[in-house]
Amino acid sequence: MVTAIMSGYALSLAAPAVHRVVRRWSGWIIALLPAGLFAYFLSLVGRVAGGEVIVASYEWFPSLGYNLTFYFDGLSLLFALIVTGIGTLVIVYAGSYLAGDPWLGRFYAIVLIFMASMLGVVIADNLIALFVFWELTSISSYLLIGYKFDKAASRAAALQALLVTGGGGLALLAGLLLLGLISGSWEISALFGEAEAIQAHHLYLPALLLILAGAFTKSAQFPFHFWLPGAMEAPAPVSAYLHSATMVKAGVFLLARLSPALGGTDEWTALVTSAGAVTMFLGGFLAWKQTDLKRILAYSTVSTLGTLVLLLGIGSSIAVKGAAVLLLAHAMYKGSLFLMAGGLDHETGTRDITAMGGLARSMPVSMLAASLAALSMAGLPPLVGFISKEVLYEATLEDAVWPALITAVAVAGNVFVVAAAGLVAIKPFWGEWVETPKHPHEGPVGLWLGPVLLAGLGLFVGLAPGVVSHDLIAPAASAVLQKETTVKLALWHGINPMLVLSVITVGLGVAAYVWRERLGNRLNILDPGSRFGPARIYQEAVDGLPRFATAVTSVLQSGYLRLYLTTIVVVTVGLVGFTLASRVDAGGMWRTPDVRIYEILVAGMILAGALGVTLMRSRMASVAALGTVGYGIALLYVLFSAPDLAMTQFAIETLTVLLFVFVIYRLPKYATLTSRRDRVRDAVVALLAGAMMTTLVLIVTAEPLRSRLTPYFAENSLPLGKGRNIVNVILVDFRAFDTLGEITVLSVAAIGVYALMKLRLGQAGDEES
Amino acid sequence: MFQVPSLSDLNVAAALPAVVLALGACVFLVVDLFVPRERKHITAWLTAGGLSVSLVLALLSLTDVVTFGDGEEAFFGMYIADQFTDMVNVIVLVTSLLGVMVAYNYLDRTNMQRGEYYYLLLFTTAGVMFMGAAGDLVVVFVALELLSIPLYILTGFRRPQEQSEESAMKYFLLGAFSSAFLVYGLALVYGATGTSNLREIWQAVDSMVAGDTSAQFLLLTGAGLSLVGLGFKVAAVPFHMWTPDVYQGAPTSVVAYMSVAAKVGGFAALLRVLVAGMPNFMLDNGTSAAWMDVTWLLAAATMIVGNFIAIVQSDLKRLLAYSSIAHAGYILIGVAAAGVPRVADEATQAVLIYLMAYAFTNVGAFSVIIAVERDDASNTGLSSMRGLARTQPLLAAAMAVFMLSLTGIPLTAGFVGKWFVFKAAIAADLIPVAVIGVLTSVLSAYYYLRIVWMMYFEDGDGEAATPRPLAWAIGISAIGTLVFGFLPYLLSDMAREITLAFGG
Repeated sequence: MVTAIMSGYALSLAAPAVHRVVRRWSGWIIALLPAGLFAYFLSLVGRVAGGEVIVASYEWFPSLGYNLTFYFDGLSLLFALIVTGIGTLVIVYAGSYLAGDPWLGRFYAIVLIFMASMLGVVIADNLIALFVFWELTSISSYLLIGYKFDKAASRAAALQALLVTGGGGLALLAGLLLLGLISGSWEISALFGEAEAIQAHHLYLPALLLILAGAFTKSAQFPFHFWLPGAMEAPAPVSAYLHSATMVKAGVFLLARLSPALGGTDEWTALVTSAGAVTMFLGGFLAWKQTDLKRILAYSTVSTLGTLVLLLGIGSSIAVKGAAVLLLAHAMYKGSLFLMAGGLDHETGTRDITAMGGLARSMPVSMLAASLAALSMAGLPPLVGFISKEVLYEATLEDAVWPALITAVAVAGNVFVVAAAGLVAIKPFWGEWVETPKHPHEGPVGLWLGPVLLAGLGLFVGLAPGVVSHDLIAPAASAVLQKETTVKLALWHGINPMLVLSVITVGLGVAAYVWRERLGNRLNILDPGSRFGPARIYQEAVDGLPRFATAVTSVLQSGYLRLYLTTIVVVTVGLVGFTLASRVDAGGMWRTPDVRIYEILVAGMILAGALGVTLMRSRMASVAALGTVGYGIALLYVLFSAPDLAMTQFAIETLTVLLFVFVIYRLPKYATLTSRRDRVRDAVVALLAGAMMTTLVLIVTAEPLRSRLTPYFAENSLPLGKGRNIVNVILVDFRAFDTLGEITVLSVAAIGVYALMKLRLGQAGDEES
Repeated sequence: MFQVPSLSDLNVAAALPAVVLALGACVFLVVDLFVPRERKHITAWLTAGGLSVSLVLALLSLTDVVTFGDGEEAFFGMYIADQFTDMVNVIVLVTSLLGVMVAYNYLDRTNMQRGEYYYLLLFTTAGVMFMGAAGDLVVVFVALELLSIPLYILTGFRRPQEQSEESAMKYFLLGAFSSAFLVYGLALVYGATGTSNLREIWQAVDSMVAGDTSAQFLLLTGAGLSLVGLGFKVAAVPFHMWTPDVYQGAPTSVVAYMSVAAKVGGFAALLRVLVAGMPNFMLDNGTSAAWMDVTWLLAAATMIVGNFIAIVQSDLKRLLAYSSIAHAGYILIGVAAAGVPRVADEATQAVLIYLMAYAFTNVGAFSVIIAVERDDASNTGLSSMRGLARTQPLLAAAMAVFMLSLTGIPLTAGFVGKWFVFKAAIAADLIPVAVIGVLTSVLSAYYYLRIVWMMYFEDGDGEAATPRPLAWAIGISAIGTLVFGFLPYLLSDMAREITLAFGG
């Protein structure tokens, strides 16, 4: 199992080299790998249809109990066959379609990476492994959409797809994390048995929403549907493979895979069903409005994806079977149509259906394939599309909540799809001959083999549905429903409501095709999204982001140190002030002040000094004012009977003032650089900071000091240190080593300062001479 | 009753890796005086040798192959030699080794080859190691200064270039300013608990009388101010403003080293002070520590601001500066999550795992900038990445790996780090923060992937030079990033037994 995935990655490394060696036939040779894998998965059909689940496990993260486990059941089988089968055809096709392109080797490599990752998604059992593969598909899709990287539109579309699906992917990661935490298990297979516990958990809804966000972005569900048409910038084989048959179905796969664990609740039904229904209708309608061949197909793919999601939302047995059939049918007809559209583009040089006509004569094989596929898409017998539509209506009619409404939406969506099928298959091939940029003729075998095979397969399965019903559809449905299911598919069930609905659908669809021009503008009201929709929101967000970032930068990153300081101070004051306001009882702080008149005088002197420092116009005066502050504090020490401290303070203050004078002697004069407003703001900030500090000091002093040191030194300084002055004893006795260290440090610093000054003086001397 | 402690009581051996490095730095300082200017490679080799010895010792201790010393505490509880210390040591030593490798040629060609560079780097490293091992508030502060002061000098190492000097000045002034906050905060914590020893603080908080609002307030304010001081070191918003200016101005080899080392030190100290010292500090019978709310608010602000501003940067060094701010935010999520006691161990491990992953990735990314930078410090704009894939395919591939890892794409180390941090946050019921983390990661893809895009899909000269030791550093970083990405259990096993809780 893991070999299957790894072989894809391995060949992708070698693909550019292979391409260089065999240039012309590289497509055919590289396609051997997916073909071989297809054969391998086909060989497993018997075992899986018999109800067996193939499990493989590898140690990955043993200490935490994460293992790299793979789980291969009916659902995986169906997807694996589609991934490898279409992969084979697409690689062959690309060999012709992109022949001569300088980056073809790289193209093969990325497609193979994608294929391997997609296989990983469908057979991974571990939630994290699933996520890893999931993201790899997003990245390879990004690279493939941007394949023509010299085109701006291509790059923008690639980025859009990556941002939408990548963003959804991260939401998915968060959702999977929640899911893992809720259930305590990282294995999907282990989740199945715990559905009740999961759904009863209070984190169920957040987990569900996040996972749905991941699935909906990937599968282009409304309101995230807009990236898929944009992704049509990719070369045709990529559109056929990733954006129709496989990658966009990863979201559908995830819903199907997790529905046993998450599904069945009211939230699931409401969210999934409504998203699916809206997408189905909107996709069909938008498809019908397009004139670009690939955009028609893209929107009709959106519609089909909506249908699949709708069916999984309904979640009944018949709905799940319907989803499985539709999945298969869609892969066949849409793959065929996309490849055919690429062929038309290749041969005629245009993709606009109004610029083509009467091509049936020059391209008969393409015409045949397109007709078969389109008939299947429109849901006409005897093709597989017909069967799938019958089952769809059967499921919507049996819906438990609003059968009538859901059925009506389904019919409406399908009406447009029928019309769109007409646009794709009738417009280009029939009618009058229209001159196209290139002279068209049938392309090489590589270009038409894929469409023909796929369309033919659609016919074959339609005629003999028994081929797939037991071996593919039933195991897939059983895997989703987690119980043994049998499936009987047939073209003819007799006249029943489903058949009537089908007839109505086709009838209205033909009408919609014929009167497209006349109806088109009147029905615009159905699509308000074009003006205010999610695509617009995305665009605004992408454009607005740099603008917003620039604005934030100019506020937060001015480059001025003083503003940085202001920010830090304001935030600190805010944080502390908030706690102060919310936690401290202000009453307890205020003790009756018992001040003497000279204390007030000294305090006034200190304040005046502080004010002076900020207001003085000359440096000398500022320094002098600063000195006043220091001497005032010394006076306070005297007043509170600490003459030794006062002495120290006097000495230090004098020294500082002298030092300042010494230093600023050489500095230029003050200049006013800030505006009045700035200074007022700074004053406010300073006052706030001062107020905060004052309050803190008051609170700290209100707290009784619980030092164990003071009593210890008081008791022991005389007996142990033989001294009565505790401070002295501490300095020279108890902490003599510290003092020694301090003296050393100071001496070293002094030597350093002396050395620096000498150096500087020496330099000055050099300059003068 | 008052005795001079004997050397054996100190249990010096328990601190062997840090002691070896600190002593080595002192010895090299003297040795370097005798190394002539044109043969500074001797100093570089000595430094690398010292770091390697210390790294081997730390690894032996981390893997429990050898147990140094006797018990976990050394220097009377000032130094704690537990698994946490070992892991911090390993992270910072790896960073320093890479730092020496990327510096050697760079210093040569920019004419800065001086011996000071190497032992200043060693002192910083020793500072980080002591910070991780701090068992006492005093050690936290001293180690912080030991870590910071050499960095201030290193930032201005490219004198007399003005940008370098300006950034050193800014860094020094703001750093001193925030150190003051830290000291004040630590003093308040001391005032509230009556001790500076973390284990005793923990005990004091445990027995703190519930009604003693005044002591609670002191502790709260103390924790808050410490958070401001350390928030500056790890560049958390709104204390981040120095980061871009300093990163842009400082020599790139210094930035490569300091962007990781300073963060490791800051976060180690935060974890020691908050998670080891006061995990049980809860207000109003809450279930999470009182400092948790502020921490996650800081985390959210840091992630949002860092990522938003990074988008519009046009200089690689500035861009990575904002990216490093953003990553500080992600790591802060882990610190916040550790505020819930039952998640504390898991969150602590997550932070260490993140730092380990970040060390390889970020040093690697800066090394690539060193490779493209010209001798006159120009060519560090985003445009220098154009066309790099064509002229230097290996270098471009390595840079792509680093960018993917910084974004947090699976199979890179960056993803593993984010994974553990977000998991811890969710387990701690910090879901909104985890969601912000995820969303801002998406945002970050915008600027990281743009670099990848420029390298691979745009035309340009793509000039770059990768001389020997620099190329090794880039290679080791890239391999480390990928190996940890593919085999995440290597990281989680390393961190598995780490706990900060006192008393088992």
